[in-house]
Amino acid sequence: MNSLLQLARRIDWLSDRFGDIAKWAVLAACLISAGNAAVRYALNIGSNAMLEIQWYLFAGLVMFGAAQVLRVNEHVRVDVLYGIYPTRMKVIVDLLGLCLFLLPAMGLIAWLSLPYLANMYVSGEMSSNAGGLIRWPVMATIPLGLGLLILQALAEIIKRIGWLMHVHEMDTHYERPLQ
Amino acid sequence: MSFEYFAPLMFGGLVVTLLIGFPVAFSLSALGLLCGFIAIEMGIFPAAFMGNLPLNVLGILSNDLLLAIPFFTLMGAILEKCGLAEDLLDSMGQLFGPMRGGLGYSVVIVGFILGAITGTVAGQVIAMAMIALPVMMRYGYNMRYATGVLAASGTITQLVPPSLVLVVMADQLGRSVGDMYKGAWGPSILQVLIFAAYTFALTRLRPAQLPALPLEARTLQGWALWAKCLRGIIPSAILIFAVLGSMGGIPGITTAICTPTEAGAMGAVGAFALAALHRRLSWPLLVGSLAGTMRITAMVVFILIGSRVFSLVFQGVDGGIWIEHLLTGLPGGQIGFLIVVNIFIFFLAFFLDFFEIAFIILPLLGPVAHKLGIDLIWFGVLLCVNMQTSFMHPPFGFALFYLRGISDTLHKNGALPAKVESKDIYLGAIPFVLLQLLLVVIVIFVPQTVTVFLDKEKAIDLDKVEIPMTERVERGDNQSAIDEMLRDAAKAASAPR
Repeated sequence: MNSLLQLARRIDWLSDRFGDIAKWAVLAACLISAGNAAVRYALNIGSNAMLEIQWYLFAGLVMFGAAQVLRVNEHVRVDVLYGIYPTRMKVIVDLLGLCLFLLPAMGLIAWLSLPYLANMYVSGEMSSNAGGLIRWPVMATIPLGLGLLILQALAEIIKRIGWLMHVHEMDTHYERPLQ
Repeated sequence: MSFEYFAPLMFGGLVVTLLIGFPVAFSLSALGLLCGFIAIEMGIFPAAFMGNLPLNVLGILSNDLLLAIPFFTLMGAILEKCGLAEDLLDSMGQLFGPMRGGLGYSVVIVGFILGAITGTVAGQVIAMAMIALPVMMRYGYNMRYATGVLAASGTITQLVPPSLVLVVMADQLGRSVGDMYKGAWGPSILQVLIFAAYTFALTRLRPAQLPALPLEARTLQGWALWAKCLRGIIPSAILIFAVLGSMGGIPGITTAICTPTEAGAMGAVGAFALAALHRRLSWPLLVGSLAGTMRITAMVVFILIGSRVFSLVFQGVDGGIWIEHLLTGLPGGQIGFLIVVNIFIFFLAFFLDFFEIAFIILPLLGPVAHKLGIDLIWFGVLLCVNMQTSFMHPPFGFALFYLRGISDTLHKNGALPAKVESKDIYLGAIPFVLLQLLLVVIVIFVPQTVTVFLDKEKAIDLDKVEIPMTERVERGDNQSAIDEMLRDAAKAASAPR
């Protein structure tokens, strides 16, 4: 169990590093978008590559960030019942949800995306816009991000089993994210 | 099981699955996929149906409008930490304080201004309660009024442009964000007036509950006080008007020079400048706002991915037709539909967050509303007003929850002389929930509160240009493409007659 918990901590670390990438992608997308508008307005020129890099960064920020959001328990829940469950019940609901909902669903979508990625990579498909970007890197964020999410889900499962076996302390407190 | 029961059962399954309490994004996708497999087994649709899922995910990621979510969130996150709320409330409170009910008015007005600047109800309630609650208690304001007005004014942020809610609403209803913003001005100003009128009525009926502050309570006098008020308002007002003006989100502005997404990005850059101006720009502020923004965005987009999986299957089993039959058969036509939908959303908002309602329920209601000839901007703004009440519902209301937390903290610090009881917060919220419902009724029966601010000509032109849009050249830039077409059309119309 201890080595599994160690593994879970490694996965946490990995998710946080990708979370860092996602965090800076916010700033990059923001500056590029503002820059695009300014340049188009001032100089009346635009570049499709610069327009497309915005949503590539967006894809990166969402896909690479999701695992960290899972780690810090900020994926939104309906907490009418969850809020009043005792801790043990919360842990069990999470375990079942992770195994029965998250892993199969995200695994399936990730699996289905692989043929598309392979296809795009082999054909070197480009954006249909003039001067646009090559497509496969953005498709790659989907299986990569979901893969991370699955890893993080495994880490969460390990932590919860550890909690049930009284070898791991964890905070199951859930607060709805700010809005 | 026969086919016609599939959609209702799936909807029931949705309710049960969400109530369990596992994160919505994953519950939705798992339920959608499970139902999809059953439908494939039953031969309702072909197995290839599932293969398209990754393309749908990619479609969500490439949606230019959704990119506005991180930008507006970032802008709000930075401005929230600039100390604007504190400065504004302090100066406004001193300005209006010596008037009977003056602190109440200043909370309402500052709530409105902050609503335009920041984006989160929680941040706004906390910031305002920190400053205003101790002062209100010290000078003998009625506890229930004080907590009620703070919670209610904190929720205005949902409705005042540029609000995230309206961006998501525009995306889900397929309308332009600029129009959504224009339409929201009327009800948000109306709401401020309603709250102020209620405060005024209380000062006449129960003057002891909202006393005037003695003039000695002012630490600033005359010109210095005015200067502080203006210093708080003017830079942020310029920023907001620049952001909204450039994307065509203010009534009377018909041409946008950039997309809502770009306006959001500019706003975030402007927010950095404003933070620097207030000497609050720091490394922790930057990193903290980026991290918060990233997490909210990832969370929201994953709900959208989940609900897309669900609704693909739900539409595949004719769920849309089922909902439409349910709702078009209502007596009373448009009004009947709106009343039922609003009651439905009102109760749903007890359990669901705004994002879940917008992503799961709205796509089901939108087409029906459109078929009944309801203006979708009006519909969206109306639902937005309605969902605001969800923050105020005792006992689950989000704003109340945060007010509870901050008043406990204040009491522990010694800033509050007496402990604020949950009962006071709940009872204090009720009059304001009723006032918000009054606003819902007004907006239902007087659609002009929304539509009068919309630009008629543009709405007609938009319909006309919808067809050429399919062959647009620049995918990420269709808003400006539309505006370019609009400008050309306007030129053609005003050219030689």
